[in-house]
Amino acid sequence: MDMNIETPEDQNEENSRRVQVRFKTKLKPPQKVPSNSIAIPSNLTRFGLSSVVNNLLQAVNPEWKSEPFDFLINGELVRMSLEQFLLAKGISAEKVLEIEYIKAVAPQKEEEPSLHDDWVSAVDGSNPGFILTGCYDNLGRVWKAGGVCTHILEGHCGAVSSVNIIKSDGLKYVTVATASKDQTLRLWKVCSGSWDCTISLWRTNDSDAAGNQVSIKKRKGNNQVEEPQLEGEAISTLVGHTQCVSSVVWPQQETIYSASWDHSVRTWDVEMGKDLSDIFCGKALNCIDIGGEGSALIAAGGSDPILRIWDPRKPGTSAPVFQFSSHNSWISACKWHNKSWFHLISASYDGKVMLWDLRTAWPLSVIDSHKDKVLCADWWRGDSVISGGVDSKLCVSSGVSIQ
Amino acid sequence: MRERKKSSAVEVSSVKKKKEKKTKDNNEPREQKEKEESQSIMKQQKNTTSRSKKEKQRKATEDYQSLRESELSGDEVHGTDHDVDNADDHHEEDQTDGSEGHRGVEESDSSEDEVAPRNTIGDVPLEWYKDEKHIGYDISGKKITKKERQDKLASFLANVDDSKSWRKIYDEYNDEEVELTKEEIRLVQRLLKGKAPHTDFDQYADYVDWFKYDDALHPLSNAPEPKRRFIPSKWESKKVVQYVRAIRKGLIKFDEPKEEEPKFYLLWGDDSSAAEKANHLAYIPAPKPKLPGHEESYNPSLEYIPTQEELNSYQLMYEEDRPKFIPRRFTSLRSVPAYENAVKDSFERCMDLYLCPRVRKKRVNIDPETLKPKLPSRKDLKPYPVACYLEYKGHKGAVVSISTEASGQWFASGSTDGTVRIWEVESGRCLRVLEIGEAIQYVAWNPLPELPVLAVSAGQDVLILNTGLGNEEEQRRVKDLLHVETPTAPDDNMASIVSWLQHDKLDGIRLRHFKVAFSPLSIFSCIFVLVLDLGLVEDHLLKNLLLALMFTLDGVFGRMASQGRLPLHVFHPTRSIFFVSTKKNIRVYDLLKQRLIKKLETGLKEVSSIAIHPAGDNLIVGSREGKLCWFDMDLSSKPYRVLKCHPKDITNVAFHRSYPLFASCSDDCTAYVFHGMVYSDLNQNPLIVPLEILRGHTSSNGRGVMDCKFHPRQPWLFTAGADSVIRLYCH
Repeated sequence: MDMNIETPEDQNEENSRRVQVRFKTKLKPPQKVPSNSIAIPSNLTRFGLSSVVNNLLQAVNPEWKSEPFDFLINGELVRMSLEQFLLAKGISAEKVLEIEYIKAVAPQKEEEPSLHDDWVSAVDGSNPGFILTGCYDNLGRVWKAGGVCTHILEGHCGAVSSVNIIKSDGLKYVTVATASKDQTLRLWKVCSGSWDCTISLWRTNDSDAAGNQVSIKKRKGNNQVEEPQLEGEAISTLVGHTQCVSSVVWPQQETIYSASWDHSVRTWDVEMGKDLSDIFCGKALNCIDIGGEGSALIAAGGSDPILRIWDPRKPGTSAPVFQFSSHNSWISACKWHNKSWFHLISASYDGKVMLWDLRTAWPLSVIDSHKDKVLCADWWRGDSVISGGVDSKLCVSSGVSIQ
Repeated sequence: MRERKKSSAVEVSSVKKKKEKKTKDNNEPREQKEKEESQSIMKQQKNTTSRSKKEKQRKATEDYQSLRESELSGDEVHGTDHDVDNADDHHEEDQTDGSEGHRGVEESDSSEDEVAPRNTIGDVPLEWYKDEKHIGYDISGKKITKKERQDKLASFLANVDDSKSWRKIYDEYNDEEVELTKEEIRLVQRLLKGKAPHTDFDQYADYVDWFKYDDALHPLSNAPEPKRRFIPSKWESKKVVQYVRAIRKGLIKFDEPKEEEPKFYLLWGDDSSAAEKANHLAYIPAPKPKLPGHEESYNPSLEYIPTQEELNSYQLMYEEDRPKFIPRRFTSLRSVPAYENAVKDSFERCMDLYLCPRVRKKRVNIDPETLKPKLPSRKDLKPYPVACYLEYKGHKGAVVSISTEASGQWFASGSTDGTVRIWEVESGRCLRVLEIGEAIQYVAWNPLPELPVLAVSAGQDVLILNTGLGNEEEQRRVKDLLHVETPTAPDDNMASIVSWLQHDKLDGIRLRHFKVAFSPLSIFSCIFVLVLDLGLVEDHLLKNLLLALMFTLDGVFGRMASQGRLPLHVFHPTRSIFFVSTKKNIRVYDLLKQRLIKKLETGLKEVSSIAIHPAGDNLIVGSREGKLCWFDMDLSSKPYRVLKCHPKDITNVAFHRSYPLFASCSDDCTAYVFHGMVYSDLNQNPLIVPLEILRGHTSSNGRGVMDCKFHPRQPWLFTAGADSVIRLYCH
């Protein structure tokens, strides 16, 4: 059975070509449309398609509130008019077209920014309960949702450059690591109930502490031995980079990924202390993250406006599989979404945080809440983007619906 | 016949002889008369002119015609009987003419007397005597009376009777009838037929070969023509066939028809073709004068006519610059006056042609592209700074000097606002602000990464400051180093120049100068670098070293200072060699031997900056006129390359420590990045390729980019602008 849906575009152009489409989705029933094929004008864009789906949903359920959808054809997001898309991809319009729709990924609302005393240099949102930030006023801060600062971590005499939530054993104890420009690394073991910030403790599990120490010590790189304030000689040192290591990640037990200003991304074997592979990029790199499909894709950004994504599993090539170049300046941070294979964010010195989907070359959305350079960005709770920048603000953009 | 008789005395004389012979046969009474006649003829011949001869000729032809008439009719009446005799006489004369012609010529003079023509009137029209009774006069002057006329009937009858009457002719002149002889008639008949008059003359006589063959050295053959001359030649026919075939094959080409030269040629056209026409070897056609344009028209359109203001402005111009011709309008071509400069102009034109030697220039046709040096493409020379991504803002005045820390994590900048700022490269954050109070002239980091110490030149002082960076142990060492005890006992020489004091506000040392009026600028930062290289030396040792250096260079610096200029200098990166620039040249000193090694001649007007390649053998020098010189120390004391790139002063030049890059910055608000590859192979000259022009700074007080420095590890360039912004250009 065919249904003709009157849309604004349709009324405007009666004589435009029509395409037979069938909408399908993995969404739950209230958002599911009947799987009949319908004829729609071929000049519809994403917005038009979205209103078509909303109309269909309203026809089934009168109380349906319209919401934006995104559309996939053959695994690619539709970013132009349907006709152009089909032409560009060489898809026949004769057959019934299957269009999958997903919820549009865009921040719904902007929460009140949390003000710091100085530039926000690092942010970590891996714990859904709080946000950890590092600041140029030598302090680390712990924030609850809604812009309430619960704890201030004192101790560094230089600007905090990196923060990391190491471990959250249940709800009670959280171990936090911070690195600073004073070339020290501090591990804070804090009880979630009472944040006594004055204590600097090493009460973490041995293996964890050692591992993290290695990885973050490389932050200042240059193969200099750093001096943890209290105790703990480095268990092992990974030597190989020729310039300062700007970023490290340790996604799995045995491998460490590091990005450096010597233009390379290296993969390290923790046990052996040797580098397994080396991807040369040509630009000084600032940030690295591992994620995506099979948690294997490397995303890195550096001293140019291009966010590059490598697939180390591809043999014999060091060419990036994806390049996103909508930024205008250096990329300061990039983070994969920890659930989705496709989504990642990047922060840049041009003051923008961009939300990317691997399936299209355009950013899904641009969060332009900062007035100056954005220094750090992360996901929080799976549906919010947090970012800190030179304007001393921690911005939280929530309502990013990634199923 | 009469003509012949009358005109030549020869005939007459010959006739005379014969007549005398004949007259014996003819009637006697006429003898006398004939004598008289011949006499009269002789006399007449003496007197007559050519005119009279002509008249007689005319007469003779008349006679001749009448003769023909008589011949045809045969019955014309001409005279009396004795007339016939007369005619016979004449006949006799004529007969002898042919045979005795030449004899007569010889005897003409002697025989004149005997001839006596009867009538002597000469060559006058006979009508004059028509109505007279006489026909003329004889030789003695007596009248010759006319004979009595027979009436026509009688004469007709006489003619009928006389069978010879057809041969008689009436001679009007002598008034007598002449009878032609048979010989004469025959003669006349032959003439009428177009034959030779005398029968004995053979027109077609056989050829008499008069040549004697017998004794001739080269006898002409009289052999009969051979047969071969009359049959076609085989050889010729073969040759003809050959030619025919060659023509068919195209081996023989006939001359193409000559191109007709055009009758008319272009008067104002190009002379180049005319030059070819002239066979002269080195003929160079004179250049054509400029063609007249519309403005030279007698009635040019209005836009060509200068206005009054323009005319006035011509008066203000120099005479050479004034236009030669001022267009004017005339109502008609008639009213155009003579051109007053015509003589002057043509004289000048002649002088031009005469005085300017015309030389044929040999132009070589070369594609200009091929003359360009083959430079590698810029893509292959990556990485080099391309775009500005980071700006470091915070200074309030022009940023004069920047210096990067050895690891490339920080850099320091000094400004005219009296502050030194220390920046973090990566984030663009200003870490520290050091208030000096005086305009900064130069900042320099300690090249040793263990000691994060900064040297600053401000006013007359050099400050050595602790940056406060680095970890605690480093800080401790820095503090030890920068601690100065109570002012030591003044050393004789040293104290007069410089005193070491603890800085009152900031953590550092102040070196105060007393003697020298000029600011020593970076010399001390460099010395400081040397000192720190030696480690933490004892105070007096350090001072002695400084002193030695100062005295080595005292001469140069003193002279430069007296010129009011700041000497520029660099240290050799590995050896104890020191480069100092004077205004135009670079002097190279050996510090250990304390003497001048070399002098580099830049050829520039004023040196503004120098930088040395990290390997130490190459030097770049920037100048106030925007030129950049590259010196290869091994090559020559002259620049290896001079690059003219900046339109304004070059303020600074810089080499990269590890990448083959160098840069220059200028007051035109740009910085140029070059690829400067130095090969270890001594045979290979350095390769210099201009790569990129970096723009972005704005001009302030006429100054543009004040300083440029490369990042020590990345191919990035810092530029300090007079617009108080520092920019980082990344690859």
